[in-house]
Amino acid sequence: MERQLFFSGNEAIAHGAVRAGARFACGYPGTPSTEIIEATAGLEGIHSEWCVNEKVALETAVGASLAGVRTIVTMKHVGLNVAADPFMTLSLTGVNAGLVIISADDPGMHSSQNEQDNRNYAKFAKIPMLEPSDSQEAYDFVAEAFALSEEFDTPVMLRTTTRISHGRGQVLPRVPVEVEPRDYARDISKYVMVPQYARQRNRLVLERLEKLRRRAEESPLNVLEAGSSDFGIIASGVAYAYAREAFPKAWFLKLGMSHPLPYAKVARLYDHVSRVAVVEELDPFFEEQVRALGLPVIGKAAIPADGELDQEKVFRALEPYVQRKPPRRRRPVMPPAPKLATPPQPAPGLPVRPPVLCPGCSHRSVYSALRKRRLAPMGDIGCYTLGALPPLLALDSCLCMGASIGMMAGFNKALGRKAAVGVIGDSTFFHSGVTPLIDAFYNEVEGMVVILDNRTTAMTGHQGHPGTGLRPDRAQGPSVDIQKLCEGIGVRCVTVDATDHKALDTAIKEEAKAAGLGVIIALAPCVLVTREQAGEVVVDEERCNLCGLCVDLGCPAIAPGEDAIAVLETCTGCGLCVSVCKRGALSLSCAEDPS
Amino acid sequence: MNGTTTVTLAGVGGQGILLGAAVLAETAAGAGLEVKASEVKGMAQRGGSVLSTVRFGEHVWSPVGSHADVVIATELLEGIRGLDLLGARGTMVCASTTRITPGSVLRREEDYPDDLAGAAALRGVRLVAVDAEGIALQAGTLRAVNVALLGAASTVLPFSEAEWRRGLETAVPARILEVNLRAFELGRAAVASQEVES
Repeated sequence: MERQLFFSGNEAIAHGAVRAGARFACGYPGTPSTEIIEATAGLEGIHSEWCVNEKVALETAVGASLAGVRTIVTMKHVGLNVAADPFMTLSLTGVNAGLVIISADDPGMHSSQNEQDNRNYAKFAKIPMLEPSDSQEAYDFVAEAFALSEEFDTPVMLRTTTRISHGRGQVLPRVPVEVEPRDYARDISKYVMVPQYARQRNRLVLERLEKLRRRAEESPLNVLEAGSSDFGIIASGVAYAYAREAFPKAWFLKLGMSHPLPYAKVARLYDHVSRVAVVEELDPFFEEQVRALGLPVIGKAAIPADGELDQEKVFRALEPYVQRKPPRRRRPVMPPAPKLATPPQPAPGLPVRPPVLCPGCSHRSVYSALRKRRLAPMGDIGCYTLGALPPLLALDSCLCMGASIGMMAGFNKALGRKAAVGVIGDSTFFHSGVTPLIDAFYNEVEGMVVILDNRTTAMTGHQGHPGTGLRPDRAQGPSVDIQKLCEGIGVRCVTVDATDHKALDTAIKEEAKAAGLGVIIALAPCVLVTREQAGEVVVDEERCNLCGLCVDLGCPAIAPGEDAIAVLETCTGCGLCVSVCKRGALSLSCAEDPS
Repeated sequence: MNGTTTVTLAGVGGQGILLGAAVLAETAAGAGLEVKASEVKGMAQRGGSVLSTVRFGEHVWSPVGSHADVVIATELLEGIRGLDLLGARGTMVCASTTRITPGSVLRREEDYPDDLAGAAALRGVRLVAVDAEGIALQAGTLRAVNVALLGAASTVLPFSEAEWRRGLETAVPARILEVNLRAFELGRAAVASQEVES
């Protein structure tokens, strides 16, 4: 075995990640998390990159995980606020290869604007959390976190604080974990979080949390350590280390896997001692949960709820309680597993009526062109998300606003090729697509982004956005030119008339072959706004053999009849069906003289 | 429940469900009742199912109810689907001649059901089937299916003609008020004549 190393917690996490088979690391710098990516950057076998912010870093990490490689993403506590949007929904989608989110908190605000306790985020998102209490654990827990992530199909939070990240200690290296990259399997109901799929996933999250709680009960990371006094302490992280020194004779419940809380293990501590304290920095995170079991506990009434702790603070806070008469012994009340609502069942025999892309919607022609190219379209949030539903099945993912580009970047980086394409609407691009495009340029991503520019925020009812300059009262303000914006970043960008199916198809074909990063703006104003009648589709019933190519476009104006396709009166004459017909059975007659 | 009447309007995005609900809400409010309402309209413009609920009574606590006393459906399939929304002794007022075919039926993956009367009888639901499309066309525009149906439903709801008229005048934009008043009257008369026949 190698000699012992003397690592900061952050270095230990970096080395622990590589040892655990991580192949991708990204993050945004922020004290006390920064040194993790700085350390992975110097290690073999792992790709490291700084992202433009924590949200894009997490979305990039999700892309890499989907592509099949174990991935860590790092940020300071407030960084997770920026990444909260993908973070919360990632709990629902789960992962492919293991994904560990490292949140480094800063009690005492050595270098931060607040001292929020990010353990609350693990509870909020219903995901497991590990808290190392020294560098060796920081090193070891990364592998544990990856194993949990893959076994339970969940992101895992590894939470440190300043004294763990920046504290140093000996680390005994362990045998590397052998992991093969996982294959990516398209799974729309798992990765596209439209309401009907998200409802199903949400139930799985609630069930997963109870399974994780059973794991936390068994986990060797949660240790009941025997003492020689009548005093017990529940603690995690560096607070455990302080308490250990302050009360060497106490019993301890040391929580390495600190969410979800192992209730039975907590109760077992009370079998051995008559007084129990929770020693934790910042919020009464464990204390509230222990109290909810109906157990008496010494907590924030004694231990400061702000700033860092140390041995003396812990000792002085708890010493008076050790002298006092112990509280009356009480039996814990184990909370039952929460009940789940009965999912609504569709009435049997009644066709469902999901929302669909409108007849003549230009998004349909983008999807028609993309599906010929064998690219995984990472989607985003808007009308175009409807393209993920049958029969188009045009999107591989939809995580949160603006996630498409970062996920495309991480996916392609992890695979080393242009395997995914980012698909994002104009309003969503302004919302949070610009930063990941900057990121993709900076990180030299091989990839394609298609901006579906229908000149409005269509899904919510045609509100204005910076690209249109329209205000809520419909007054015209200044507008931003998307192409100039992309070119200003330095990204190759073309604008294509999305109603010109051939030109769009050609542009996508060429961009798919080109090296580097390119943006295609597929421009066509929303048909609900223009109400444009471009022409009339005429069916040659002799030629139509009902092959279904046009039906597969999912246009509500196309219906297969007895002998041939029927075109309904809702048709706008966009002509996409004409362009996909291989038998020349469909033709477009112009509504008016083009002159 | 507790003296509160719950009416749910069911239809397809673009059928004017929300305007119909607004007319009913204004009518009930004009009659001096407390009104609460709720709509699910996120996907309204994309051809999805749309539901809007109006509740009125002496005192109304919640904006939605577990069951409806009356369902007003502007489309046949949504009417059959809407039967499940009705509580005991409920009434279904359905535009039984209006069919908007969902994509899965267009693609022949599923069949469009048409036995509204059978399904209603199976549940013991009172059915008022109305050719709302025909009435709306007679009034002057197909777009008035929603209000034609409200006219039909007005025969089972506790408001006077004057109260309905005030509700329509308050909720319907002036430029389309006349045609909607006509559609309402024709819808109301159609059900009245049905009841005379039966």
